[in-house]
Amino acid sequence: MKPPSEEHDLIRWIDGEMNETERTTFEERLKQDPVLAKEARQMRELSSSLRAHLPAEMRVPHADYFNTQIEVRITQMALDEARAKQAAPGWGAMFQWLRQPWFALAGTAALAVLGFFLLNPATGDASESMILSSYTPNTHVQARTYHDSAADATVLMLDGLDAVPAERKVSGINIQRSEVEPELASTTMFDSHGTPVLMISRDALGNPMITPRG
Amino acid sequence: MKPILTALFIVICTALASAQGEPPSVVSSVKHATEGHVWGALIFATNDATQLTGAKEPMHAELPKLNERLAKVFPFKHFEVLGQHRQDIFREYESWVVPSRDLFMKIDSKGPADNGGVNLHLQVWREQQVLVKSDAVLRKDSPLFIGGPPWKDGRLIFVLFLERK
Repeated sequence: MKPPSEEHDLIRWIDGEMNETERTTFEERLKQDPVLAKEARQMRELSSSLRAHLPAEMRVPHADYFNTQIEVRITQMALDEARAKQAAPGWGAMFQWLRQPWFALAGTAALAVLGFFLLNPATGDASESMILSSYTPNTHVQARTYHDSAADATVLMLDGLDAVPAERKVSGINIQRSEVEPELASTTMFDSHGTPVLMISRDALGNPMITPRG
Repeated sequence: MKPILTALFIVICTALASAQGEPPSVVSSVKHATEGHVWGALIFATNDATQLTGAKEPMHAELPKLNERLAKVFPFKHFEVLGQHRQDIFREYESWVVPSRDLFMKIDSKGPADNGGVNLHLQVWREQQVLVKSDAVLRKDSPLFIGGPPWKDGRLIFVLFLERK
């Protein structure tokens, strides 16, 4: 069984994350270690196969995805630092506490809190609606949030959205109440006369599906 | 012969009814806990009155001067409610606000907010595409204006308003 550091190096090599020196050193190791070389070849084939069969762009699975990724990255950096510390102890040891994982996490948290208060002026008034966070899957779309005192409203402005084609007929519906059917994972919506107007459910990908179509 | 056929028909109907099992449970605000009640509307904003669709949906009575307030944020003269939806915010189930098939919203309740209001996770959808995901606190008398996609020479706007807790 390979040690975790070797596994980590192998993944970084396959993902092309090594710098020139690291890559040269690692490829020298591959030449001298046929077992490691075999494993590297198999993992690279698997990686290529996965890349070939997965879509080039994937949706971010949830709103906290980037936070999770930052935490993973911080953990990786902490592991790298620990390895560097073992390899080259010396004067830098005096300031090693600066590189501790808790310091990185504390710094991240402090920056997040500072950013929240700096970028969210609406926090001052507890009677206003607030946008706490927003995420646009399409990177071409920018979300701006602010409170407009003149309009007495909180605004979430989405800039960069594709226009709805002018020839498309955008029509509205008047819904007065709805009923959820948990077993069918669907919601039926009714107009002011109690007539069912439409039903919304999820397709196999979890996307909303409205029937009947307009 | 006829009584036998009638009895057979009743037996078949009874068997079919029992084979279908329990009907799916229906959750409505009457039966299920809610965190509040919202009004969602899709509004078309334009400077060209000839482009208005002629929709006759009224503005919300508890949102005074909505046109003027929208005009403070969006640089348009005419605002037309295309569709509107009154919806309970279910505590344990997702709630959909669908004033139009073209632009609609999913709401997940995250519980009551401090100082009143409701903590919500919002998703604005355009057909099968999610445009934005957002965590928000919605409070009464403080509507949320969401600037949506351009349409014709104007813009589509989604308004979300907490009618009651």
